[in-house]
Amino acid sequence: MSEIETFYDVMRRQGITRRSFMKYCSLTAAALGLSPSFVPKIAHAMENKPRTPVIWVHGLECTCCSESFIRSAHPLAKDVVLSMISLDYDDTLMAAAGHAAEAAFEETIEKYRGNYILAVEGNPPLNEDGMYCITGGKPFVEKLRHAAKDAKAIISWGACASYGCVQAAKPNPTQATPVHKVITDKPIIKVPGCPPIAEVMTGVITYMLTFDRLPELDRQGRPAMFYSQRIHDKCYRRPHFDAGQFVEAWDDENARKGYCLYKMGCKGPTTYNACSTVRWNEGVSFPIQSGHGCIGCSEDGFWDQGSFYDRVTDLTQFGVEANADKIGIAATGVVGAGVAAHAAVTALKAAQRKTQTRTEKEEA
Amino acid sequence: MTKTSLLVGPFNRVEGDLEIRLEVSEGHVSAAYVNSPLFRGFERILQGKDPIDALTITPRICGICSISQSAAAARALADVAGAEPAPEGEKVAALLHAVENLADHLTHFNLFFMPDFARPDYAKRPWHDRAVARFTALQGSGLRAATEARAQLFHIVGLLGGKWPHTLAIQPGGATRAPSLRDKIRIAADLKTFRHYLEEHLFGAPVEDFAALSSAEALENWRTGDIGLFLEIAAELDLNSSGVGQARYLSYGAYPTADGHMFAPGLWEQGQLVPLALDNLQEDLSHAWMLGEAAHPTQGMTVPDETMREEAYSWCKAPRLGGEVYETGALARQVIDGHPLARALADENGVHARVVGRMLEIALTQIAVEALVQGIQPEAAFMRDVTLPKEGEGIGLVEAARGSLGHWLRIEGGKISSYQIIAPTTWNFSPRDSRGVPGPVEAALVGAPVAEGEETPLSVQHIVRSFDPCMVCTVH
Repeated sequence: MSEIETFYDVMRRQGITRRSFMKYCSLTAAALGLSPSFVPKIAHAMENKPRTPVIWVHGLECTCCSESFIRSAHPLAKDVVLSMISLDYDDTLMAAAGHAAEAAFEETIEKYRGNYILAVEGNPPLNEDGMYCITGGKPFVEKLRHAAKDAKAIISWGACASYGCVQAAKPNPTQATPVHKVITDKPIIKVPGCPPIAEVMTGVITYMLTFDRLPELDRQGRPAMFYSQRIHDKCYRRPHFDAGQFVEAWDDENARKGYCLYKMGCKGPTTYNACSTVRWNEGVSFPIQSGHGCIGCSEDGFWDQGSFYDRVTDLTQFGVEANADKIGIAATGVVGAGVAAHAAVTALKAAQRKTQTRTEKEEA
Repeated sequence: MTKTSLLVGPFNRVEGDLEIRLEVSEGHVSAAYVNSPLFRGFERILQGKDPIDALTITPRICGICSISQSAAAARALADVAGAEPAPEGEKVAALLHAVENLADHLTHFNLFFMPDFARPDYAKRPWHDRAVARFTALQGSGLRAATEARAQLFHIVGLLGGKWPHTLAIQPGGATRAPSLRDKIRIAADLKTFRHYLEEHLFGAPVEDFAALSSAEALENWRTGDIGLFLEIAAELDLNSSGVGQARYLSYGAYPTADGHMFAPGLWEQGQLVPLALDNLQEDLSHAWMLGEAAHPTQGMTVPDETMREEAYSWCKAPRLGGEVYETGALARQVIDGHPLARALADENGVHARVVGRMLEIALTQIAVEALVQGIQPEAAFMRDVTLPKEGEGIGLVEAARGSLGHWLRIEGGKISSYQIIAPTTWNFSPRDSRGVPGPVEAALVGAPVAEGEETPLSVQHIVRSFDPCMVCTVH
């Protein structure tokens, strides 16, 4: 372990000042919803712990997760996190190409065996022995299994890795399959969304790098700190929903007044994500703020639930509220049960088992 | 005569996966075969869906050019309904799209293309130290400045589109967000910040000065900014004559508004501008793992050949217009639009010309978008009511950063019955057609030098990247 540097060493080498480092620690604490008293703890951890190596691989996907990550994150957080993970392996961003890249991949696995985090963007298509996604002459599913074998934990970035996303939409021509259906013997953190919000991505990865354990997960395996509330709960247009004030057509008078988009098909009432609090592109806005309803891209199966512009239900306003809740709970309940059953038969690491049982208790 | 075969790939730092088989003879590439090893089947997924859902599904083909896909889908849907978007909404759509294209050009130059010059293989070159400092992957100062500039630029998309990537704001009737006067000011400020980056780093001089270059000689004398460094490298490595294409260009015309296109549509053949006509467009399947006959996209099908037959070697179809191969992208757009510098580089058509084409387009787009924002009327309508018919056909043509993107859509019984997409990289990275004519990249690679023992030849890296491949779009 001694040959692995600490986070702080890495940052210093990247030319990041002590002042920026402390600012980063404060930001991290804030992003993770921790009190200021955690700042020195984060700083201490980063100065003393060897950094956790990360391998980032891409399967069947559109790279939107990486794009979100590199373009929109808080510059400092992104810089720091990127400088840490870049040392290892990333298909899209790294300098090497061809055989050199493949060699770097093997070397990273070898060097940090059992100790690295595998971040997966996209998913493996299983049809026809995986021939629809070939990297380095081999089906991606093989690369995934190979890299997962010696990983400490896996992060499923985005809707593709977490659930399948639109490429798995009926008839799912390539049989695109989410990561947790292929890798069943490792703790998996799902960070869904198409793509996930940059700050959520950096938040999750920083938490794991800093505290060397998985964040608390909800029933679906998502980090509770970012996915425990519905978009609807924190939506700034919520008062208009409660008052029964709705946009009836695109760019109508009500739209200009910023009324609720529920009637335009907004899926905010059934979607768990941090868009309405963290917002997008460095906190500038989020879809509802820009006049378009939420499509629920962080929910399982969002691509096959009828039209994206269908209303959540046909009921009128106040009935909807109760109903939307029920729908949300019913849907997550089913998936949650699947995950729990799945968890029971697989050997998860202690850290995850603890959070798993806790959330199950809460459920009961 | 020694003839060897070399498999180059996977290419990292491209969007998606790419593999190229090279036949090398006497130190030069004698033939190249481009394989896109990734297939997802979007065109089949779209069948049977509610037509309006194309607005959500097609952008997810690609996380880099997702606005291009959404703009093309919106255009195709409007076309089916025989509708035109509200003029102000069209301006917002153009602005969103232009911001994405600007950002793409910037990413390509800084993150995908230039880092190759920081490789140790070039250690003895006079410019190597500067290339390392500026463009080492993930660390160079140029990369950092560019990444920060583009994140800032994307505030505009955040504001108007709610999120990026996979923005939902562009609709057949216009755009969902009507910017207020205050938004206009914020956007103008974001553009100003971007201009500052361009003038400080990329051009090292006023944007207008680069846009005003009108000849190859004038360009040669440009010394400032990251462009200056690139031009110095290009001259020393003779990138002008590397990866030379056939100077046959295609553009569907970029950013249509009520006042016409910002960059005009057309074809460029044998040094002449020809009006764009797509009647004799065909996608050839002879070397693709696809079943069926060559067809116009209105009749086209996407049926993967699960046997992956011998004579084929890619999931990519081969689009041909009048049986001919066309190159598409920023250089093609600017040649067709008639910029004097682009026209001067039209016949050169190599690595250097393609990169300069992109830089030129950054300058021109920056200037045009600033004017566009000034002209937005916040009080006007930004959306028109568009009712989609139960039956009908439509075409959506736009220009993505990498070139011409078309969506061909048919609705039957209120559902999508056919959806065919030809992406820019489908044109540029197409495999051979039934006559055995190679695609633009395959042709451009012929003659590239391969040094003894070189497994990932540098010349090949530069040539392939000069086209800015986006493989996920290629085979969707």
